[in-house]
Amino acid sequence: MTTMATPTQPQPTKPAAPAPVYNPKSESLTAKRIKSTIFHIVALALVAMVLYPALWMITSSFKPNSEIGGANNALWSNNFSFDNFATAMEGIGGVSTLTFFTNSLILAVGAVVGTVLSASISAYAFARINFPGRGLFFGMMIATLLLPFHVVIIPQYIVFQQLGLVDTYVPLLIGKFLAADAFFVFLMVQFMRGLPAELDEAARIDGAGHIRIFGSIMLPLMKPALISTSIFSFIWSWNDFLGPLLYLNTPEKYPLPLALRLFVDQTQSSDYGAMIAMSVLALLPVLVFFLVFQRYIVEGVSTQGLKG
Amino acid sequence: MIDRRKFLTTVALGTASAAFLSACGQSSSSGQTGSADNPVTITYTWWGNDDRAERTRKAIALFESKNPDVKVNGNFSDFAGYWQKRATEAAGGGLPDVMQWDLSYLRDYGQRNQLLDLGTVKINTDAFEKSLLPSGQIRGKTYGIPTSTNAFAVYYDPAKLASLGIAEPDGQWTYKEFNTFLAEVGAKGNGTLFGGTDYTGIWWNFNIWLRQNNIQAFTDEGKLGFSKDDLKKWWNLTADLRGTEAIVGEDKATQLLPKSPFGSNVTATEVTWDNFMAGYLADSGAKELKLVPVPSDDPDNLGLFLKPSMLMVASAKTKYKDAAARFIDFMVNDPEVGQIFKTSRGVPASKTQRDGTTFEGTDKLVVDYEKSIEKYLKDAPEPPIVGFGTLESTFKRVTQDLNYGKLTVDGAVDAWFKEAEDLIKQNA
Repeated sequence: MTTMATPTQPQPTKPAAPAPVYNPKSESLTAKRIKSTIFHIVALALVAMVLYPALWMITSSFKPNSEIGGANNALWSNNFSFDNFATAMEGIGGVSTLTFFTNSLILAVGAVVGTVLSASISAYAFARINFPGRGLFFGMMIATLLLPFHVVIIPQYIVFQQLGLVDTYVPLLIGKFLAADAFFVFLMVQFMRGLPAELDEAARIDGAGHIRIFGSIMLPLMKPALISTSIFSFIWSWNDFLGPLLYLNTPEKYPLPLALRLFVDQTQSSDYGAMIAMSVLALLPVLVFFLVFQRYIVEGVSTQGLKG
Repeated sequence: MIDRRKFLTTVALGTASAAFLSACGQSSSSGQTGSADNPVTITYTWWGNDDRAERTRKAIALFESKNPDVKVNGNFSDFAGYWQKRATEAAGGGLPDVMQWDLSYLRDYGQRNQLLDLGTVKINTDAFEKSLLPSGQIRGKTYGIPTSTNAFAVYYDPAKLASLGIAEPDGQWTYKEFNTFLAEVGAKGNGTLFGGTDYTGIWWNFNIWLRQNNIQAFTDEGKLGFSKDDLKKWWNLTADLRGTEAIVGEDKATQLLPKSPFGSNVTATEVTWDNFMAGYLADSGAKELKLVPVPSDDPDNLGLFLKPSMLMVASAKTKYKDAAARFIDFMVNDPEVGQIFKTSRGVPASKTQRDGTTFEGTDKLVVDYEKSIEKYLKDAPEPPIVGFGTLESTFKRVTQDLNYGKLTVDGAVDAWFKEAEDLIKQNA
């Protein structure tokens, strides 16, 4: 991928250009330099534009509340302090902020484990086993992608309420363990269909069953798809607000997104400073997770592009 | 391999037994009262920020120490999420036992029989202003008990007025005088300080103006009680100010969001509820803000009333009516609860609670303001009609278009009436 990431040095296209009388080499060099400078300026300007909100968020997290938003909205302030972080770490209503972090982490890791396990197994079935009604079930699974989430909220809530599972993590995680995220199943099915069938035929000749083929042949080859799935399900679960809002009742079980909202209350006073400080903290795990795994995303895309 | 038939049987049995067990659970615990050794647990939910969460936690601890036979499980969320969650729970039949409530949702949930008629349980309302209680009642049934009150007021920043050399208002003014005042601030403010926001964009201010002119906002049948001409007159009040420095431009106000122009130190005055005091002080960093009554062309009728800033309600399906009633009674009447919340919920509505609370600083300003307007107070209006929230936000939106110059006053009146009449028809 390194060659793709550095298109900054264009290869000299005309090495044998007819030489003008007056110092040709330095002129083409100057032209190259100007081109490269312009490219860098444009690229940096774009980066600055994209990163500005993030930068604003980080500097704001150190600013006093009265200097965030409103008329007084400069990037810099003379009153930088760690007060906001102190407030954010104090917790809410007797629940420490660490608890919110832990809960978010439990939910996110649970979601990743559940989704990766269940989606890959379901995808294997759809891609490799010719069971009766496969087309129908596959169609039904795709159809759930078209069903807006808001349509099922209330029926789902009633089911979990009747089962007495409200205020547990079960409603938030059970879907992940049952491959209810059709998007991920679909992603993996498509990926598996791209893997040569000769590989599992060879394994079958050697006497391997489905479990062996799935575990020893498919899983290792699917690494890029598994990692894309992990990243997305981690981030989605980490950012999920509505699910925890509806299903959790005990503040000790709240994840971060619920806690974040409590600093901004339009009916009383709003502590934007603390909210932004907590947002910065909440962003860190996602950022780390992404940084660690992002090279695999690129890898996944590139191998998918190369196949066939 | 798992046998498919066996698997299905297991699932079916499991589901059936779960349903059976939950049914048992319901029947055995109905109408229960607790004892100190075996307390009943009720759930209480509220919206608000971290500060309210902390205060409520203290209040709950106090209640539990005084009532060892009841345990209260508290939970909270932000205002917007709060109503999403309640709507889902109401549909699923699982509303919490006791809830903090907002006036604009009372009729909706009350009419759908989701809320307990608090007239059927024991809650002491002797210490309440009689003019306030109707705001929690629908067709003679009491669904909500106000915890605290708000009144409408004009805020101003004395330091800003002093720096411009403008005398502080005394709150005895007509709309014309108020407009002159706004224009003067704007003219001297030199483009950096504006007089205020367009006060005709706030529904409650219009409602107060209607009361000053002895017009009902809504009829008893839930229809609009005023005519297009009334609304035209209202929106024409600031016609000469729009686009001048007396009123901050809508584009500028939008840039300041989520803060208000007043909280951002861009305007010198704001007309709104008196419970915004703490928020404005925190947002603006101002040392001091003051409150005076709204303008009126009839000095004896200011149209003012106390509005419950929030109410306490119980779920119609609660299994612990007695415990729920005791908790509500405690939250609205107990003087120690007043000491915990001060004016963060509004000025305590019950006299017992109000007298038992010491108010200092900003709290005192708000309490004193409500005391100063006591002689002008009239009955609070009934809970607003279903869909009122939409009417209120449409009112604001249409006035914004007025200020952008996208609509004329006549066009704005037609636009709002059309939406309002459609909405009322839908909910009728």
